[in-house]
Formats: sequence, C-alpha cells, structure tokens
Amino acid sequence: MHNSLYKTIRSESMKLKRSPVWLAFFLLPVISALFGTFNYINNQGVLTNEWYSLWSQHTLFLCYLFMPALIGIYCSYLWRLEHTGNNWNHFLTAPVSLFSLYTGKLFQAVLMSIAGNVWVFLLYYLCGRLTGLPGLPPGNAAEWLLCGTLGSIVICCMQLMLSMAIRSFAIPIGIGLAGSTAGLMMTSLGWGLYYPYSIYCMGMRANNPKLELNMPVFIAGCLAYIVLFSVLSVIFLYRHEQ
Amino acid sequence: MKTLQLEFYKIKRRKVWLTMLAMLSAQMLWGLWALRNPGDRELQSGWLVLLYDLSMLDSIMLPTMMSILASRLADIEHKGCTYKQLKTLRSAGSLYHAKAVCGFLIIAVMLIIQFAFFISLGYYLGYEGNPDLKYYLLSYLLKLTANLSLFLLQLALSMLFANQMIPMAAGLGGSMTALLLSFVKTSSFLPWGGNLSASLVHADWNPDARIITYFYRTFSTREQAAVVCIFVWAAIFYVSGRIMFTRREL
Repeated sequence: MHNSLYKTIRSESMKLKRSPVWLAFFLLPVISALFGTFNYINNQGVLTNEWYSLWSQHTLFLCYLFMPALIGIYCSYLWRLEHTGNNWNHFLTAPVSLFSLYTGKLFQAVLMSIAGNVWVFLLYYLCGRLTGLPGLPPGNAAEWLLCGTLGSIVICCMQLMLSMAIRSFAIPIGIGLAGSTAGLMMTSLGWGLYYPYSIYCMGMRANNPKLELNMPVFIAGCLAYIVLFSVLSVIFLYRHEQ
Repeated sequence: MKTLQLEFYKIKRRKVWLTMLAMLSAQMLWGLWALRNPGDRELQSGWLVLLYDLSMLDSIMLPTMMSILASRLADIEHKGCTYKQLKTLRSAGSLYHAKAVCGFLIIAVMLIIQFAFFISLGYYLGYEGNPDLKYYLLSYLLKLTANLSLFLLQLALSMLFANQMIPMAAGLGGSMTALLLSFVKTSSFLPWGGNLSASLVHADWNPDARIITYFYRTFSTREQAAVVCIFVWAAIFYVSGRIMFTRREL
C-alpha cells in the first residue's frame, strides 16, 4: 500500500515536471496582495485594525472568488493527461490500487494549495512590513492559515472529483467560479460552514479576522467533505474501470 | 457560412450553452439574493442600480467566463488533433473567423438572457417606472463589444496553446485585474477594464449620510477614449489572433 502510494505520488510529480502550472499560484495571489494593500492604504481611515484589516483586504476576494477557481485550474490540469487519447486505459491498468491512484493526484493538489496559502501569508507579511505596520502579524494568523489550508483541501477534493468526471478542462473551473460566487450568498445566509466552497473563506477568516469559528463544526465539516468527495471519486474510478 | 454551421455542429453535444447558462445562473442567484427586499430608495433608482450592479458583476465574472467559452471552442480541435486536417479543407483564417463568430453569437444570446432576467427581476421587485430603453440598449451593445474583445483575446490564447491551463489562468488573472480596476478607476484602457468603461451608471457614496446615489454618467474625453478603446482591442485581438493562428505551424 505504502509502496504503491509512493509510486503514484512520484509518477504524478513526473507528469508535472517542467510544467508552468505553479506560475498561476505564484502570480494571482500577487495581484490580490497588490490590490488588498492598495485598498488598505487608501482606506486607513475606515480600516483601523492594522494587521487584521490588512488580512481581510488581502484575502477577501482571493478566498471568496479566485482561489477555488485557481485550485480548479490545477485539478483540471492534473486530470488533463488522463482525459487525452486512451490514457484512461493506461492510468487504470497501472499496477496500483485505485485509491492510490486518486491519492497521488490529491497529494499534488494539496501540496500546491498549501504552497499557495503559505505564499498568500508571506505576501501578507511582506506587504504589512512595507506599509509600515508595527510589530508582527497577530499570533492567531497561524490558526487562520491552518484552518484555511484545511478548507482548501475540501476544495481540492471537490475540484478533483469534478475534473475527473468531466472531460472538459474548462467546465470544472467554471463550476468552481460559479460555486464560489454562490458561496458569497451562503456565507451571508450563515451557512458558510456547511457549503464546500465557503468553508475555505470561513477557515481563512477572509471576511472577519476576529470571527470566532465554531472549531468542532468546522473540522467535522471539512473532514466529512474530504471523506465524501474522496469516496465518490474512488467509486467513480471503480465504475470507470468496469 | 458552412464553416460556421460546422462550428455549431461540433459543439452540439458539448453542452457549451449549458456551461454558459450555469455561469449565468450564478449571476441570477446572486441577483435574487442581493437585490431582494429593496427599500424605497432602491425602488426609485432600481433600474439604475441594475445597470450598475450588472457592470460590476460582469467585470469580475466575464473574463473567466470568456476564457471558458473560448477554451471550449478551441479545445475540441486540440483534443482531436484536427487542426492540420481542417487546414487542408479550408483556410486557417476562415476556421478562426468561424470560431470567433460562433463565440460572438453565444455571447450575444447569453447577454440577452442576462438582460431579460434582470429586467424581469426589476419588474418583479416593483422598481418604479420602466427601464430606459436607450441606456439599456447602449449598455447591451457596449457590454457585447467589451466581452467580445475579451473572448477574442482568450480565443487567440486557446487556439495557440494546446495546454488550456495558460488561457484559463489568463482569464482568471483578467478577472482579478478587473476587480482591482473597479476599485481604482471608473474606466480603463486595459482590455479587462472594458466592462468598467462601458458602464453607463455611476454611484456616489456619501459616508456621512451612508447613502449611495446612482446616476447616468457623463463621459469625459478620457472616458470616451476608453470606450473607443474597447472597439480597438476587439479589432486588435481579432486581427492578431487570426494572423498568429494562420502562420502557426501545426
């Protein structure tokens, strides 16, 4: 089991070798950070909570609208090779379990989303220093980052499932964008913790850094969605094989 | 014409319409949620609010939607490796033209559905009076051109790069840029600022009274130039995309 998992992770890494896909994760948060910092500097009369205000400006639109679509692009890219030609046959006849095949992809998606979130945090810190904010980011910023990363894994699982089931590269990304737009509504209605596309924003506290998150519900929701989407994905792989 | 018919034939079962409708549904859901329970002021200036909100929403969402549409139209050829064969049957230019026209027609219908839904929503919510036909028609035409220019940019990228990740990331970057611009400017010479420049309504936020006043904007010379720029971008993207695709070695 461990050996086959290692093999699939390695093979997925080989597929991604020299691919410029990481560039999108590098560049888009930079646009968001520039925008957030600019907005913060111009509205300091209203945004008085220093590091907290800067965080909300940096993450608000990125988490609500763009990160799900960005993760969607990455997940579509991960499945693109399999959807080309007869590669599904090659993929499914690999001498490893279906679960390992899926986990190999999930590992890459999770790795990139962690890197993306850490990059968002680094940009936040750098922009905070450049705008002259005193001291360091608040201690609970680490919690925002951890919860946000857990939330982003939910989106990874969801988008991986969609990109696996839908042959088109673009449609799952569109669903991601539409889903995250609907997430704005869900969060406003107070259902943010129960909707997969808004769990990420809730975890990152994109709207309100001082928000007291119902941690047991948040973690249970994330784990439930991760298990649900992963099981559905493996079932899809199994049925695809039949 | 035959090439155009073939384009529609190719996408017959690819659910391109459904994809665009799904994206529109997200906008519609947003409209149903955000515009519900209007106050007296909203009812008075409701038709202006609609035009303003639609511009903001389209500025953010349509660059990505255009990248999805362009990718759907171009990817079919990349996946089937059909470009070489198609080029032997008709000129590369006519193939590019057919895809551009096909996308243009889809955008035109999509925007008609969008306008029809939001106007119906306005009547349902009881906005006072009727929508100003002149402004709504002008807004439709400008929006159509702005999104056509974005579509043509994305089509060029999607036709040139087999890896659709690049045009999709560009589309998403475009959405972010448009969002950034919408907070900074009222018009922009950048292609992603087209929906912003094409907006016929402005909002004035009074922080003391906490009231937003909506009004039809008067275009300064610079803003008029930004509107003209939308048409220029459309022409540039069409011509450059067509030339690059025609000269591309397959």
